[in-house]
Amino acid sequence: MGNSIQDSQAPSLLDKVKTSFRNQSVLLVATLVILGVVFQIASEGIFLTTGTLATVLNDWGSYILLAVAQTFVVITGGIDLSVGSTVSLSSVVAGWVLVQGLHLDSSISGDAAIPYVLLAVLVALLVGLTVGALNAFLINILKIVPFIATLATMGAMSGMAIIISGGMPLQGPNDFNLGIPYTVFGVQLPISTTVLTVLIITVIAGLYLHKTRFGLYTYALGSNPFATRAAGISPARHITKVYMLSGGLAGLAGAYAYIRLGAGSPSNGAGMELYAIAATVIGGVSLMGGVGRIIGIALGTLVLFTVQSGLLMVKVVQVSPSLKQVIVAILIAAAVAVQTLQKNGRK
Amino acid sequence: MNKRILSVGMAALAVAGLTLGATGCASTKKLSIAFVMGAESDPFFQAMKVGATDEAAAEGVDLIWQGDPSAYDVATQVPIVDNVIAQKPDGLVLIPTDPNGLQASSDKAVAAGIAVANVDTHTADTTDAVITITGDNADGGAKAADAIAGAIGYKAGKSYQVVVGLTSATATTNVGRLDGFKAQVAAKYPGIKIVDVAYSASNPQTANSNVNNWLTKYPNLSGIFAIDGTNASGAAAALQAKNLVGKIALVGYDAYPANVELVKTGVFTALIAQDPAAEARLAIKTLVDYIKNGTKPSNHDVVIPNVTIDKNTSASDLKKYTYVAAK
Amino acid sequence: MPNKVIYEVRNVSKNYGAVVALDGASLKLHAGEVVGLVGDNGAGKSTLVKVLSGAHSPDGGEILLEGVERTWHNPKQALEAGIETLYQDSGLAPHLTVSQNVFLGREKFTKGIFGKLGFLAKKQMEAEAEADLQAVGIAFPSSNRPVSQLSGGQRQAVAIGRAVSWARKVLILDEPTNHLGARQAGEVLEVIKRAKKKGLGVIFISHTLPHVLEVTDRIVVLRLGKIVRDAPTSEYTADTLIGTITGTYGSDE
Repeated sequence: MGNSIQDSQAPSLLDKVKTSFRNQSVLLVATLVILGVVFQIASEGIFLTTGTLATVLNDWGSYILLAVAQTFVVITGGIDLSVGSTVSLSSVVAGWVLVQGLHLDSSISGDAAIPYVLLAVLVALLVGLTVGALNAFLINILKIVPFIATLATMGAMSGMAIIISGGMPLQGPNDFNLGIPYTVFGVQLPISTTVLTVLIITVIAGLYLHKTRFGLYTYALGSNPFATRAAGISPARHITKVYMLSGGLAGLAGAYAYIRLGAGSPSNGAGMELYAIAATVIGGVSLMGGVGRIIGIALGTLVLFTVQSGLLMVKVVQVSPSLKQVIVAILIAAAVAVQTLQKNGRK
Repeated sequence: MNKRILSVGMAALAVAGLTLGATGCASTKKLSIAFVMGAESDPFFQAMKVGATDEAAAEGVDLIWQGDPSAYDVATQVPIVDNVIAQKPDGLVLIPTDPNGLQASSDKAVAAGIAVANVDTHTADTTDAVITITGDNADGGAKAADAIAGAIGYKAGKSYQVVVGLTSATATTNVGRLDGFKAQVAAKYPGIKIVDVAYSASNPQTANSNVNNWLTKYPNLSGIFAIDGTNASGAAAALQAKNLVGKIALVGYDAYPANVELVKTGVFTALIAQDPAAEARLAIKTLVDYIKNGTKPSNHDVVIPNVTIDKNTSASDLKKYTYVAAK
Repeated sequence: MPNKVIYEVRNVSKNYGAVVALDGASLKLHAGEVVGLVGDNGAGKSTLVKVLSGAHSPDGGEILLEGVERTWHNPKQALEAGIETLYQDSGLAPHLTVSQNVFLGREKFTKGIFGKLGFLAKKQMEAEAEADLQAVGIAFPSSNRPVSQLSGGQRQAVAIGRAVSWARKVLILDEPTNHLGARQAGEVLEVIKRAKKKGLGVIFISHTLPHVLEVTDRIVVLRLGKIVRDAPTSEYTADTLIGTITGTYGSDE
């Protein structure tokens, strides 16, 4: 009957332990616990406080949407270098619409600013989707490889951001309360409205990646584009959707930056694409495509910014800012090494 | 295409200028002044462009405005300068991105009979330049120290904690301002301790995160020196969000219109501003004088001091020093 | 042949620039018949497969499915018409599970609003994939294992099982026994015989001539883009088949 094609080994306890260590999320949670303890001691007890955690989560909120965007793109086997400059451009255009278009300024604050903030979010989202569509055009129609296509867009969009803003921040109406952590029954939590919103978007993105046909095609395309096409799926159409999703999320990250700073500035997204890529690598996404989970990305981004903030909070020794950069670089290299070891372990 | 027509036109104009100059009728011919700046995207150079354009119009000379769109980089600047020299302008205002890297280009311009002025920074050897005009970053740092000391009501014998937000360890403006700040603190305010510095890597969100962490780490923090526009934006947002406006002294740098507004509302205790437009105006005026009349400036090395903008600054001064984006 | 013609190409040609890949090839496939397609490298086998599966459009000639002329603009149209193709070495996405591969391009959604939003009926597809593969005689570890964790033989079994279970009219198998051990290859041949019993028309492309001679009813030999012989399998011996492929044995013409 052909049922001889069977695998016979039953998993032993050792295998189970090994498997769980190969699971990126378990490793990342363990890393976070260790980092938390180390920084708590090194900071003389100020790291695990609401104030620091709120800052870590605020940074997490700035970058997680880009990391999620990058995850979808990288799983298809591509890369999107334009996400950082899309943050700059979308926040600048949002600021421009409010300041130059509607002639408003930062004197509008608190609840009165909410409608304008929502307008800024909408504008930033539209700008992001447009940049994504442009990337898809370059990749699908002009057949430019994603690295070069999005590198070109990255340059063009940061240039546009400078032209539109005149190189200066555009300060418009804002409600800073959106970024202030909640206080519930007198207890301050480390989570604000903006962070909570971003968290919800991340969960939805995770459900879409892991539970829907859209996510399945994303993996299929990165895993075997030929098989995907043979199964009757149009790669170009899916690539377009993925890059527009990436652009849209980068646009929302631009809105986040606008709310965080109360201004659209052409440097709001400076260097963010590199952190987003680093976060995806730490989170277990393979740059070869086909591999990655949103929970890993969420934890990977958290590890990255725990280290960023943690090193600043250290009191027992003075960590110079330059040494901080070196430590973050070592962390990223270590994450890649762990991935490679895991991969070899499977073979 | 336009550029080529322009450059041919410029060359023809320059040749005509030289010929007429030889016959003593130079004043009837329109002079051209080339202006090669650092990076178009920097608001500092945007403000400089405004001053340059105004002065060129007032003097009735043609302005050739050139420079890299975004990179403050010797590698991209040298070919730009060489191209400009080939157009044979009467004068060249140069913002050398590197003192040694631009020396050869500057010498080439002088050899071609072009009058050269250095602005903001200068080449290693300025003997052949008609004038060098620099802003004073160290002076700006010292003024920032004075502003913080004033805002916290500095009293000898008491101790105060201050942090400095930087962009990187190597940005020359950062280094100059920080050195000036430290020197002034050491000389006049020994009670002030600079407890921490951190880098923003040019991203205001990172600057914001640094300040938020400092506010947790140093509950008794007295003041923040945000050394450039990026750090100023990030720090201002942090104080506004945490409702600490007025409780912690914040001195920023660069008179972006948005930040000048925040001086009025008290978010910034003070802003230290440069005057790029004044630097550009002086450079062009000096060159035109020299080319037309052969007059050398009385002072070869001019330092334009920084100014402190605070709540007491007059409306007219605010208008004068606020950076305006060039059209 | 008692059964009706299910799939036919008439006089199809395909050039790649100056290279003539197919030169007026004609082929009939009956329901419940296994046709072997053989030829040397470059004889035009894979081009003919691509024309039959809708991956390439021929420059000339006709394609008829159940007597009706058809034009395929992409593989999806052929798939939807009931023609399944298993391509050589590239049938599966290694990072996806067995059931995800079986249902790729034909997913089932959950009921209600979540289904409309694109959420997949994972358990249902896993159960159906398992049942479908068992029905065509394929056994495999678990339908929620990633394909990358399967052995080469297991992968090929899944790929064939997928093609057989979805095929409604025609099944095209390009080198399905490649890289397989003797026992696994034997299982694949059993699956082909079962597909034939189901009434499918099967086109079997292989370099392994004993497999071709064992499982086919008819063998079509391609050489330099032309069909040089089309005869019942019983009329070939191993030696005459090799001779026909290489051109050292007299052909039909």
